Amino acid sequence: MLTHFTFLDAGIVGLYLLLTIIAGLAVRKYVGKVEHYLVAGREMNLYLGIASLAATEFGIVTCMYTAQNGFKMGFAGSTPGILQTIAMLVVGITGFCIKPLRDAGVMTIPELFEKRFGPTIRWLAGVVIVLGGLLNMGVFLRTGGEFLLLTAGFDPQAFAQSYHLEIMMTILLVIVALYTVLGGMLSVLVTDFLQFIIMSLSMLVITVLIFVKIGWTPLVEAVQKHHGAAGFNPFLMERGWEFVLFNLCLQFAVVLTWQAVIQRILSAKSTKTGKQIYMHTSFFFTARFLIPGLWGIAALATLTPEQIGENTLYAMPKFLSTFLPTGLMGILIAGMLAADMSTDSAYMLTWGGVIYNDILAPFRRNKQWSEKKGVLINRFIVGCIGMFLLFYGLWYPLKGNLWDYLGVTGTIYLSSMSVLLIACCYWKDANNWGAMGSIILGALFPIGFLVLQQLPATAEWAQHVGPYKSGIASYLASGTAMIIGSLLKKFLVKKKEPSY
Amino acid sequence: MSYFWLLLALFCIVWYSIMTFYVGVRGFFDIKEMLLALKSDETSPVEEE
Repeated sequence: MLTHFTFLDAGIVGLYLLLTIIAGLAVRKYVGKVEHYLVAGREMNLYLGIASLAATEFGIVTCMYTAQNGFKMGFAGSTPGILQTIAMLVVGITGFCIKPLRDAGVMTIPELFEKRFGPTIRWLAGVVIVLGGLLNMGVFLRTGGEFLLLTAGFDPQAFAQSYHLEIMMTILLVIVALYTVLGGMLSVLVTDFLQFIIMSLSMLVITVLIFVKIGWTPLVEAVQKHHGAAGFNPFLMERGWEFVLFNLCLQFAVVLTWQAVIQRILSAKSTKTGKQIYMHTSFFFTARFLIPGLWGIAALATLTPEQIGENTLYAMPKFLSTFLPTGLMGILIAGMLAADMSTDSAYMLTWGGVIYNDILAPFRRNKQWSEKKGVLINRFIVGCIGMFLLFYGLWYPLKGNLWDYLGVTGTIYLSSMSVLLIACCYWKDANNWGAMGSIILGALFPIGFLVLQQLPATAEWAQHVGPYKSGIASYLASGTAMIIGSLLKKFLVKKKEPSY
Repeated sequence: MSYFWLLLALFCIVWYSIMTFYVGVRGFFDIKEMLLALKSDETSPVEEE
C-alpha cells in the first residue's frame, strides 16, 4: 500500500517529540513530595484541567476503537460518547459523589473507602482497581504501535515476521516513561497541555479535510448500504438495547470512579474547579467518539474489502495512510503520538498511585515513609507498570471489538467501585460486608467472561452471551450485593466500635 | 436521522475549534500559576531520611 509519509513528516514528528521531552523533564525539579508527584500539589486550575482530562481520555487506542465503532456500527457507534457527555454533565452540575470525594482531601478513591469501610476494603478496592486498570491499559501500547506502523505504510502481515512492532512499542514506552517516572503528575499535566493542542489541531484538520474531499453524502450512503437504519439508530442494532444500557451504566461509572478521570478532580484546586472541569469537558466526549467515528466511516466509504483485510481495527489507519497528503501525515502522526503519550503517561501514573497509596498502605502503617522514599517508590512502580505494558501488549490475543474488551476489563472494578462510592457518600447503612460482596461479585462476571472467551470449549457460549449482558449483570450483582450484605450485617452483628 | 448526525458533527467541529483555542491560551497561564504556587510552597524541598 502506498503511503505519504516522508522525511518532512518525520521531521515534524521529531520536533514534537523533542519539545515534549524538554517540557516533561523541565518541571521535574518541582517534585518534592508524594502529593506533588501524584496530584500536582492540588494546584491544577480549570483550563489546565480541561486540557489534561481531554488529552488523557483520548489516546491512539481511543481513536482506534471509536473508528472501529464507526466502521462496524456506523454513526450509532458514537452513542457511548453521547452517553458519557450526559453522565459528565449531570455529575458536573450536581457534584454527585465527586463533591464529597474532593472535599475529603484524599488522593485515591480507596483512601475514602477506608474511612467508611475499613482498611481491608481499601486494600481490596486498590487491588481490583489496579487489576481492571492494568488489564484495560494492557492493549494500549500494542494498539498505538500498530496504528503508527500502519499509517507509516508498513504491512500488517509483516508484524509477525519482524520486530517492527516491538521496536515501536519500546520507543513509545521509553519516551513516555522517561518524563512520567521523573516528573509524575506535574510532567503529565504540562505535557498533556502541549499534547492537547497538537492532538486537537490534527483531529480538526483531518476531519475538515474528509468533509471537503469526500463529502457528507458518500459517508451517509456508505452507512446506509452496510448497516441500514441501524447505522443511524443504536436501538435498531443487533442487541441494541443491551448495547445502550451497558454503555449507560459504564459511562456513569467511568465519570464517577475511573481513576484516571477522578485524579483530575482530586488534583483540582477546589471542589468548584473540579465540577467546572467536568461541565466544560463533557461535550469533548461526544467529539472523541464522533470525530474518529467519521474517519472509520470514511474508510468504509472509500476502501475495498481487499484493502481492509480481516481486521476492521486496521481500516482507519489504512485509510489515513493513503488519504492524507505529505506534511499532514506528519501532523497526524505527531497528533496521535501526542494523544497516545498523554494517555499512557497519565494511566501509568494513575495505577501507580493506587498501588502506592492503597495496596502498599499496610506496609506504611507502622512506620511512615519519608517523602523522598515515597517519591522513589512511586517512580519504581511507574517503571514496573511500563514493563508490564510492554509484555502484556505483545502477549494478549485480542478477540472481538476493542471497545468491548475495554468496557469489560474496566467493568471489573467500575461496577463495584461506583456502587461503593455512591453507598459511601449517600447510604448510612452501607458497611464492609456489603462492600466486600459488591467487589467480589462485580469482578466475577467480567473476569469470568474474559476467561470463557479465551477457552476453546466455552468461546462459542461466551460469544452467545456477549459482553453487554455480562457487563449489565456485573452492575446489577454488585449493587444487589451491597444492599444484601450491608443489611445482613446490620441485623446479624451487634454493633462494636470501631464499626465499618 | 442523518441530519441529526450532520448537525452533531458540525457542532463538534465548531465547538472543538473554539475550545482548543480558548483552553490553549488560558491553560498556558494556569501552568505558570501552578508552577509559581509550587515554587512558593515552603515545604516543597525533599525532606531527608
